[in-house]
Amino acid sequence: MLIKVPSVANLGLETIKVDIEVNLANRGLPGFEIVGLADKAVAESKERVRTGITSSEIDFPQKKITVNMAPADVPKEGSTYDLPIAVGILSSVLNFPIPEKSLFLGELSFDGSLRHTKGAFLMALFAKEFGFENLFVPLPSANEAACIKGLKVLPVENLTQICQHLLGQKDILPIVYQPAEESIFDKPEFDMKEVLGQEQAKRAMEIAAAGGHNIIMVGSPGSGKTMLARALPGILPPLNEAESLEVTKIFSASGGIPPGGSLIMQRQFRAPHHTASLVGLVGGGSKPQPGEISLAHRGVLFLDEFNEFPRTIMEAMRQPLEDGYLTISRAKQRVVYPADFMLVASANPCPCGYAMHPKKTCSCAPTQIAKYQKRISGPILDRIDLHIAVMPVDAEEFKNNQQGSEFLEESSKIKKRVVLARQKQQARFASEKIHSNSQMKNNHIKKYCTLTSDVEEILRQASLKFNLSARSYMKLIKVSRTIADLDSSVEILVSHMAEALQYKPKNFESA
Amino acid sequence: MDKNVKIIEITDDKFPKSLKEAVKNLITSAEIKRLYYKGNWCPEIFENCLAVVGSRHLTSYGKKATEQIVTEVALAGVTIVSGFMYGGDEAAHSATVKCGGKTIAVMPCGINRIHPESQKDLYEEILKKDGLIISEYEGLAQPQQWTYVQRNRIVAGLCKAILVTEATENSGTLITAGYAKKFGKKIFALPGQITSGLSKGPNRLIKEGAEIVTEAKDILDFYKISRSKANLPAGKKLVLGSSLEQKIIEQLQREPMKADELSRLFLLPSSQIGTTLTLMQLKGFINLDNGKYHIN
Repeated sequence: MLIKVPSVANLGLETIKVDIEVNLANRGLPGFEIVGLADKAVAESKERVRTGITSSEIDFPQKKITVNMAPADVPKEGSTYDLPIAVGILSSVLNFPIPEKSLFLGELSFDGSLRHTKGAFLMALFAKEFGFENLFVPLPSANEAACIKGLKVLPVENLTQICQHLLGQKDILPIVYQPAEESIFDKPEFDMKEVLGQEQAKRAMEIAAAGGHNIIMVGSPGSGKTMLARALPGILPPLNEAESLEVTKIFSASGGIPPGGSLIMQRQFRAPHHTASLVGLVGGGSKPQPGEISLAHRGVLFLDEFNEFPRTIMEAMRQPLEDGYLTISRAKQRVVYPADFMLVASANPCPCGYAMHPKKTCSCAPTQIAKYQKRISGPILDRIDLHIAVMPVDAEEFKNNQQGSEFLEESSKIKKRVVLARQKQQARFASEKIHSNSQMKNNHIKKYCTLTSDVEEILRQASLKFNLSARSYMKLIKVSRTIADLDSSVEILVSHMAEALQYKPKNFESA
Repeated sequence: MDKNVKIIEITDDKFPKSLKEAVKNLITSAEIKRLYYKGNWCPEIFENCLAVVGSRHLTSYGKKATEQIVTEVALAGVTIVSGFMYGGDEAAHSATVKCGGKTIAVMPCGINRIHPESQKDLYEEILKKDGLIISEYEGLAQPQQWTYVQRNRIVAGLCKAILVTEATENSGTLITAGYAKKFGKKIFALPGQITSGLSKGPNRLIKEGAEIVTEAKDILDFYKISRSKANLPAGKKLVLGSSLEQKIIEQLQREPMKADELSRLFLLPSSQIGTTLTLMQLKGFINLDNGKYHIN
């Protein structure tokens, strides 16, 4: 007797349909075989299915069972096929039909219950696109799949339950999507209000968040670089619906959505350590997995101690910084992962860290400092729009002098301005493929950033005085466009350009 | 050996007398037998020498003061002698070549080596402006810890007087000052804030009797040269735009400040202060150095 159970395989972010064909033959010695390019985890599914069915107090058939996974030339991986295989066998034993337009996915436990399985969201997207109506997924993964509207997501707790449902004895009720409550983990670690002083750095953060600009902070240890970066998520605009789907897709593929999880609504803040491997950072592996840069898609990638990162990793980030995606090519497959992130980097000015410190004396020779700063390559620095120096704040000054503390703004206030500026950009780029000022290429700049003669004059003077390159010229225009957006100004004014010049690349040496 | 390198023996008539006198009383191992040099050796260059020495980690104050004083002294015809290290020495050498004065660099390494290499441009500029490069080591000898100290005795010995700009306590700069004291040279010191670690050295020298220097005249009086104002760059006239610019100038005249400090002081948003500071910078009123704004 031949039974077909439909399921899916996720290759990176792409999903294809996989038919699980189960054949129970009365002839031959009793046995259990799986064919169709199954990996170790799929092959082990035999034992989970056998024990799961026995634990559900159903006799495991003493027949020759053969499972074929079609198409046979696509490698299958993971534990997601436990449920379709089990359903196929049970359908033969208990004599129930496989419902039409349904997909099955889930990992079995020895006691017959189903565990949280990655990829449920991707399967739901696939189902929506190709007209499948019923999704049978483990209960912990059901909410994730239910993010997609217009599908019947049936949460399966254990094998007994699904048998009762398919036999028509007791129906499983489709799950109603519930957005997850904001957990304490989603809250940023610091509020901008808690950062004392650093007015200029905070303003630069605001501009970076508003225009999606990459930013680098250079300063001595203890000057507050990390704190500023960790406060950044609090002023980022929320993800819109399309962005949220993109991010959730990546997380579903990498198994990053917790049981009971739902759509990801916050921008991600990823802070990998500088000892992270190349594959961990940009993605890869024999079965290409998304790296930190993809997990930071539409969010922030914070690289602390930027010049400690190996050169290979920095150079590998050049292409995604430019294109917003990364293609991982391996012998067996090629996967494209989106990686449109905002880079926030922090670095010390010199090996000892005290080159710009007002009190401590730096003990580095100029050649050492030059060598240290050269660790960040030119092409990477070229892609960073905002450069700020973070100077240590005298804590005593703030203890004794509370003057101006009413000027310390809360993150929520800054966020409101950022959101408004983002809306202006969305309206501006509605007909373009880009969505923020930082992504403007030269043709966009020509189209959307016409400069008045006054502003051009300022730029001309500045490029003479500060030796600006053609590329920094363009960066200044982009940053001034964002400042103008924050100021609700249609035109870029002299004051906007003048402020943008504050964040130009600095030469931290004494010269 | 480089054909530009020449040798002068201590027995030579042209050997600077002040140095010969100075090292005469040192122990045998510190005697000088010969010097290697590059450039045009003429006795006049040794006539009025002032050693200017300072810390490798000069503050922006030290740098500014060095430039101000050295420029005027060098313009009056005094040769500036220093050790070609980065920081204090570099500031003295480059201020001199900038105004067209003569300077002598005493190297701690072999005469054919440029150390530190990053100052190659300055090295060539010194020779171009009729200055001298001197070393007692031949070839490409590497500098050693002890050669820096040995070099200092030549710096001190060549000069009539020495100016200490900035130095921490127990620093190499103070070793040069110690030699100068031993040789009976006049010691000038640049006063600094008592809270600054780099002013501890010169402030201690002042306490011990060194002459305080607040303007170039203090030094020129010692050399009995009247200063000529003719070549000095004229003071700039400030044409200020807004009242905020006026207020910022007033603050910066008192002390250099960070942009953040200014925005706290005036209770103005950082964006406004930043805008004003950039415009003032473009007009040439102020200057950003090491994170702080200075009056030009």
